[in-house]
Amino acid sequence: MYITDLKCISAQETYSDKFIKGELNEIKEVTYLALEPNYLEFIPKGLLRRMGKAVRMGIGTGLPLVKAHNNIDGIIIGTANGGLEDCIKFLNQIVEYDEGTLTPTNFVQSTPNAIAGQLALMGGNHSYNITYTNGGTSFENTLLDALLLFEENNAQKLLVGGLEEISDYNYNIDFLANKYKIELISTTDLLQSTSKGTICGEGSNMFILEKEAVNYYAQVLDVEQITYPTQEDLKVILTQLLERQGLKLEDISSVMLGYNGDENHKSWYDFVGNELLPNTTLYTFKQFVGDYRTVSSFAVWLSAHILNESISTKHHFIIREKNNSSTSEKKYHLIYNHFDGVRHGFILLSN
Amino acid sequence: MSQTRDELALELKNHIIEYLNLLDMTPEDIKNDEELFGPDLGLDSIDSVELIVLLDREYGIKINNPTEGRKILIDVNTIVDYILANKK
Repeated sequence: MYITDLKCISAQETYSDKFIKGELNEIKEVTYLALEPNYLEFIPKGLLRRMGKAVRMGIGTGLPLVKAHNNIDGIIIGTANGGLEDCIKFLNQIVEYDEGTLTPTNFVQSTPNAIAGQLALMGGNHSYNITYTNGGTSFENTLLDALLLFEENNAQKLLVGGLEEISDYNYNIDFLANKYKIELISTTDLLQSTSKGTICGEGSNMFILEKEAVNYYAQVLDVEQITYPTQEDLKVILTQLLERQGLKLEDISSVMLGYNGDENHKSWYDFVGNELLPNTTLYTFKQFVGDYRTVSSFAVWLSAHILNESISTKHHFIIREKNNSSTSEKKYHLIYNHFDGVRHGFILLSN
Repeated sequence: MSQTRDELALELKNHIIEYLNLLDMTPEDIKNDEELFGPDLGLDSIDSVELIVLLDREYGIKINNPTEGRKILIDVNTIVDYILANKK
């Protein structure tokens, strides 16, 4: 399947073309908050006032794509937590008002599938509509669903995306579980950090995927995921993924790894980048957008621009450059990411 | 000292803006006799539930009868009248 259009909201100027033209924001905060566009340009005020941040970002990235493309056969969204901030507001109201009169808005907006539902309602799209909430591999599951729909000839064009918001609730709980750093750390220094934990980020990344295409950013070849693996398990599922595509480890020319400055989980990326794929160019990305459970969707957005050569700043993301001996014009690019060492995902792209 | 009618209307407008998250609006933008569900403010059925919740939480007034609600939630004046008559 092919990525033919894409949209991104992140802590960088990715909604416009400033980021891909070289404008990088240096951030030094405990969380990397998304830079949101002026939604009033395309979301009616009456609807916008009810939307939580996750819904806003999802509509902001998804609706322009739904409106720009006809005949979308399905909307598939991946989000681990959805509009968690509104969910907690609603739960707190139940306690605060002793299970009395409750306001409906927070409840309506808080369910993870509110985003895909709003996209369908606002875009007038009444086709297949589903939301995956599989923690750190929610986005990988959207790609798997899309691959299956195309393979079974049940779709020609799909809207697929991954998103997450920072809520006080998830930040505080994850912070207490030592997932985030205590100290302030900048985008420049994050990957050199030797302390535990990472930086919490948020964002929304949406894609138009088509079964066949002539003009496209990148091709998504395959996806694989595993929970609580050993390093040997990772090697096995990566080898299986490549074999399905008729490829070997040596055929991979570049890898995008989810290094996030967390000393606890660095060894996973070292293993894939240095031991399994030592002769590849290595890219990283979380120093610019932080970490969240569906951040692999940002990796796909960035990789699509790199493979399409539509980004002028790719040297900012390279931590090891190798001249692949292959003279083939076909490049195979692998994304490997995990969240907190639990759920691990591989996504294989090509140009 | 008891609250005057104008003070109550101002307080109610602030609550309406807060509960309904009316972006960029101030109390001065809502006229006392302006229809809440008319073309200018453009409130809808979900907002009517929010207003019922507002009256319960802020003034201890419960509206259980939908027919009664239609007569109360017309504009700021009608809501203020109802609060003054029923506030506990």
